Amino acid sequence: MDILVSQLMTGLSIASILMLVALGLAIIYGVTGVINLAHGEFVMLGAYAAWALQTQFGMGLIASLLPIFIIMAAVGWLVEVLVISRLYDRLLDTILATWGIGVIAQQAVRLAVGGELRYVQMPESLSKSVTILGATDSAYRLFILFVSLALFGLTWGIYRYTNFGLKLRAITQNRSVASSCGINAGRIYRLTFAYGAGIAGLAGALVSPLKSVSPEMGTGYVVDAFMVVVLGGTQSLMGTLASSGILGELSGYLAFYSNDTIAKALVLLAIVVLIRFRPQGLFTARVRT
Amino acid sequence: MSGKTKTEIAICALVCLAILVVPVFLDDAFLLNKYARYLVLGMLAIALSLSWGYAGILNLGQATTFGLGSYCMAMALKLKTIPVHTGPDGLPDFMVWNNVPELPWFWKPFYSMSFGVAAGIVVPVLFAALLGWFMFRGRVTGVYAAIITLAAMVVVQLVIIDQQAYTGGFNGITDLAQFDVAGFAFDAYGSASYYLVAICLTASLFIALAVTKSKAGLIVQAIRDQEDRVRFFGYDVAFYKMFIFAVSGAIAGLAGMLYTIVMEFASPTFMGVPLSLAVVIWVAVGGRQSLVGAMVGALVVAGMQGALSESETFLDSWTLVMGLLFVLVVLFLPKGIAGALEAIGGRFERKRLATTEQPERKDVESNPRHLESLS
Repeated sequence: MDILVSQLMTGLSIASILMLVALGLAIIYGVTGVINLAHGEFVMLGAYAAWALQTQFGMGLIASLLPIFIIMAAVGWLVEVLVISRLYDRLLDTILATWGIGVIAQQAVRLAVGGELRYVQMPESLSKSVTILGATDSAYRLFILFVSLALFGLTWGIYRYTNFGLKLRAITQNRSVASSCGINAGRIYRLTFAYGAGIAGLAGALVSPLKSVSPEMGTGYVVDAFMVVVLGGTQSLMGTLASSGILGELSGYLAFYSNDTIAKALVLLAIVVLIRFRPQGLFTARVRT
Repeated sequence: MSGKTKTEIAICALVCLAILVVPVFLDDAFLLNKYARYLVLGMLAIALSLSWGYAGILNLGQATTFGLGSYCMAMALKLKTIPVHTGPDGLPDFMVWNNVPELPWFWKPFYSMSFGVAAGIVVPVLFAALLGWFMFRGRVTGVYAAIITLAAMVVVQLVIIDQQAYTGGFNGITDLAQFDVAGFAFDAYGSASYYLVAICLTASLFIALAVTKSKAGLIVQAIRDQEDRVRFFGYDVAFYKMFIFAVSGAIAGLAGMLYTIVMEFASPTFMGVPLSLAVVIWVAVGGRQSLVGAMVGALVVAGMQGALSESETFLDSWTLVMGLLFVLVVLFLPKGIAGALEAIGGRFERKRLATTEQPERKDVESNPRHLESLS
């Protein structure tokens, strides 16, 4: 029982981090079709922002979340205006451009603050561990799980119940019809990109106490997050939630039975097969065409 | 043969000739080895240009076939090392460290050098064809093809790293013998190795050029521009894509083998994401729809990076400049430098034709140009 619960919790912990990173990516990819390879670097920048706010201004991690979201949203907005907005008619090239942006971001950080590992303090109140059904788990991991679900709920609420969300869904379904109804697609795209980047920054800030912060930390996340998006399908946020749950638990269990490397290889293999036979992802929104 | 093809062949021949005469003027073993390495990377760029520029398949896992070729050559060379470097009964050293009792069956054929060389081409080709069959029969295109090739590469790399007892794991296969043919040894730092690489590069370039000019090559380019139209004509689109994927895999495999010879080891990083993405940059900067452009792009960018890596401060800012350059090229020169040069050349040509004022000739000439601008 203990082992089962602790396995479940490990899986959930992996899943919640995956979802934090994938959520922003899913929104950007789902709405604009842009493959944002710089997403991992947005995560990395968020983690560095948390580190900088903590060491330079003595801000606690939780207090710095809002400023980090605003900073990263501004970065995302800038990237969209300068680069991405010129590439909407050749989406495959966005892979290249965003990768170049990622290289620039990594190198800029390395030049500015150095390549060595940085550590972010965990909030004092969350550094204990708690016991659930006989299995112990760190309070901070539960906090991440909670925050990621809350962020998901917030995003879903925006998507479903606000005017902005309505326009967003309209553009996702058919850009030209939406535009002719008077929706400013360019503006919606910019805001979407900024929001996605902001969430990526939050993801980086939240994982920073768990892992050491380095300029390369984003590269690993972006591949995993992509797999979540591909598995979940690009049109439904619920798909992202479900697929990060599936992938998190799957890698947790596979790693328990074999080892991390093989678990990763098997998960990737499963995803390759899935793309081949179901490129629209496991969960698709029903759209009348 | 059209005038354009003739110019293309002439440019390729000139570039290859320039590459071949380098050792005449250069008598520095270290530099020769370094240049040979860049030439190998140039071959890798040709391979990517074939699949990306000509068939429109963005292969983010081009390094897989490169790495497979590299490992085949390393396995053959490892078994050739003098007994000092290997364990008892000719067992490679890393197997001894991992308590492998005897040579695994799939290593045995590599006692034969010719088998190793053949495997270095056949294994990557089979891999590429199989992956191509898997993707293109399911009509996977665009972004999804890019993700599948990338994920497949990571899987292969993870398996190789995990199976340490049979592949050397993270360290790769090191401590290799020199490649030799009929008693003549190719020293990695000698001019012989350079010539070997340069000749293979020339051969690959012209074979790739011939493929793009063949009927199959034209169909592949048509698929890139309008896949459905070609399918409606009755062509087997998946087959042609698999074909170009396999040719690209063969060239990458050959390049991988040469890389092992020049570097004197094989490592899992040879099939890593960073190398794969670097090739994409080189090809994008050089011009993906020009084989020689992609190759020169690889030589120049990789060469500049190598030259600047000697001083720490330069390397740091160089990577930054690289990223910036790359974004600018993607934004403003989607066909790379070769594409831009071609456009300038085309403008001059048109001006020349306009001044000579030969209406009937102008008509004939303007037709193919019109088609070209559609592509």
